[in-house]
Amino acid sequence: MTRHLAIAMAFAASLFTAAPAHAHAFLDHANPAVGSTVPAAPADIALWFTEHIEPAFSTATVTNAAGERVDRGDAHVAADNPAELQLGLKPLPPGTYTVHWHVVSVDTHTTEGTFSFDVGR
Amino acid sequence: MDAFIVAIRTLHFAACASLAGVGAFECLIADPALDGSATAADLSRRLNSLAWISLALAVISGLGWLAGVAADMSGQSLGGVFGSGAVGTALMHTRIGEDWRLRSALVVLLALCLAWNRRRGRFAGDVAWIGLALSVLLLASLAWAGHGAADEGTDGTIHLVADLLHLLAAGAWLGGLAPLALLLTAARRDSASGMTAAAATTRRFSLLAVVSVGVLLASGIVNTWYLAGNVPALIGTLYGRLLLLKIALFLAMLTIAAVNRLRLTPRFDGTDAHAALARLRRNALIESGLGLGILAIVGVLGVLPPGLHTEPIWPLPFRLVVSALSTGALVMLLIFAIGFCVCGAVAVAAFAAGWKRPLGAAFIGLIVCVAFGGAPAMPALVAAYPTTFFAPSAPYNASAVDRGAVIYAQNCAACHGADGRGDGPAAAGLPTKPANLVQPHLFAHTPGDLFWWVSHGYGSVMPGFDGVLTPTDRWSVIHFIRARAAGVIASGMGPAVSTIAAAQVPDFAFESGGVQDTLSQVLAEGPALLVLFGADAPIARLQQLGAAQLKLIAAGLPVVAIGVNGASQGAVTNPPYVVGLSAKVAAMLSLFRNDSDGGETELMLDRNGNVRVRWTASGGGLATPETLAADALTVARFSGAAPNHAGHGG
Repeated sequence: MTRHLAIAMAFAASLFTAAPAHAHAFLDHANPAVGSTVPAAPADIALWFTEHIEPAFSTATVTNAAGERVDRGDAHVAADNPAELQLGLKPLPPGTYTVHWHVVSVDTHTTEGTFSFDVGR
Repeated sequence: MDAFIVAIRTLHFAACASLAGVGAFECLIADPALDGSATAADLSRRLNSLAWISLALAVISGLGWLAGVAADMSGQSLGGVFGSGAVGTALMHTRIGEDWRLRSALVVLLALCLAWNRRRGRFAGDVAWIGLALSVLLLASLAWAGHGAADEGTDGTIHLVADLLHLLAAGAWLGGLAPLALLLTAARRDSASGMTAAAATTRRFSLLAVVSVGVLLASGIVNTWYLAGNVPALIGTLYGRLLLLKIALFLAMLTIAAVNRLRLTPRFDGTDAHAALARLRRNALIESGLGLGILAIVGVLGVLPPGLHTEPIWPLPFRLVVSALSTGALVMLLIFAIGFCVCGAVAVAAFAAGWKRPLGAAFIGLIVCVAFGGAPAMPALVAAYPTTFFAPSAPYNASAVDRGAVIYAQNCAACHGADGRGDGPAAAGLPTKPANLVQPHLFAHTPGDLFWWVSHGYGSVMPGFDGVLTPTDRWSVIHFIRARAAGVIASGMGPAVSTIAAAQVPDFAFESGGVQDTLSQVLAEGPALLVLFGADAPIARLQQLGAAQLKLIAAGLPVVAIGVNGASQGAVTNPPYVVGLSAKVAAMLSLFRNDSDGGETELMLDRNGNVRVRWTASGGGLATPETLAADALTVARFSGAAPNHAGHGG
């Protein structure tokens, strides 16, 4: 009885708090991590999304503080993970870099966002 | 652009539902009920025409939808997508394109079936069943174009199946209404056998409608959970409110269906059968209109982000804190809630059937449930604000806390005090004492409550910072206040595992063995042990933990050791577990360690970063690896509070 009540309470509480979130591809995490400082220049960047994304319409760019493109323009979805976008980078001198991503989830919704990371100290 | 997609989606849903509805009506309703009657031949032709019109509309709207989606995905104009090849790319290289190629094949086969049936000029037969199967597949395949398609794993499967069932049940009921109206029109013309035919078909259709309504309810609840799965998202977002409007239209349809079934159908055997038939036909048309309204809402919902992805504006001045209800009160509340639903259902049925006394009783029951059900909830009602259920727009992490500390010192410390105890230099001259911000009571308020007060002030004393600080800065100061209070709460904890998730450590980035890592990534696997130390690294302790590494790994307990005094970082020559981090992170973590703790403070965190156990070198001593492993297994069972959706990423 107590157990059932506990379950009922948990369910009632859950109505006001958590529920699974779905349907739009948002950035889950990235490497280099969002807002992080990496000591050495990375050769590429990987972005993991919360949903599978459409290779034909998903892309990302990386720019330096002056607004110049520093990526290799080869954004592509990882062969082994339909939710991971990879992008090669030119050799990066120390500085702050901005990643802009624009992806379409497989249910056709478009999302985009921006974050930055630092190279060197 | 959005208006175009909404219109085209509405049309496509209606056309596909109509195709499946006509097929189901022919095979399941009209053929068994009308076998060989004069009405049958006439109706067969009309239904075939309706199917052709629906098919044509489905093709046109399907093409328009693909073009609209291609324009949306590629960022081009609707006119430009054909020339640029974006439609081709969408058709050949995306998941929705794959779906559309399959659906085109279904359309061609369906057209062949319709042509064959037209030539024969009668119902059913094998080809009609094949046509029904094709139109069901055409409707069902729309589920892959919806939100359910993006989910993965068990949740994805459940959502997809619910979507499928919802579509099919909607097709059978909504799509069958127009054929029903056609049949009733035909029956009116052919009065002799027509009436018997109308009565027989209506009864069969009612049965189909009852089954469909049950399926719609069950699958609708599942879909609501996945897309607007909590009360704030349901009543506080446009998506949720449209969903409620859709449910209201559905209930109106249900009431009319109940009138048809309980009041009109029985009159078919009586003297005023013709009047009943006319009213039934009119009701079928009204239901069709309501059904179109529902499909239009579905069209809009598809282009809106689901309720769970937008900030809910809480419309009420209060909210219910379920955890503050006593068990007895919760049971009472559940009983009255169930009673309210039962009385509502009885009221609808009694109204439809024209039973006066049950209707009165049901109304009294509804009033009783509201009056008495509200009472046990009263103590659990607390003040709420429009932003109460907002998720922070900046993640709860070290850099936000660092930024928040600076903002706090400049804007808040004068009254609330440098330590947050409500005793700043300006506090003495105020008519009301400023709030103590390091009490556990702080966590009785949602971050959104604090956001409202920081933005709009509190009472007549605290000013609002709406025009002074950006929203991100306001969230940052809230993160700082909550992190500091969490540190104070944690410092009161001891070596017994706490069952309450009270003190959440903010996320932070660190470097370990040349690899970037974050606390949230470590916690994604389960609990973790944070070892915080001051100027001197506790080499002996770290070597002890290092020797027990295998045991701790087996218990699922990673160890992260951090010198919160930034200067000590360089002096440490690579003992096990010690990680490198920035001064900002060190400053944030020093909120969770007091110098009076002695050498080191060890915190065991659950998967959401809440401190569950705390050991200090001075008070009570540190845990043996055996105790750590045992506690890790206990802590791994806590799910804690779910992190906010806006908690990570950009």
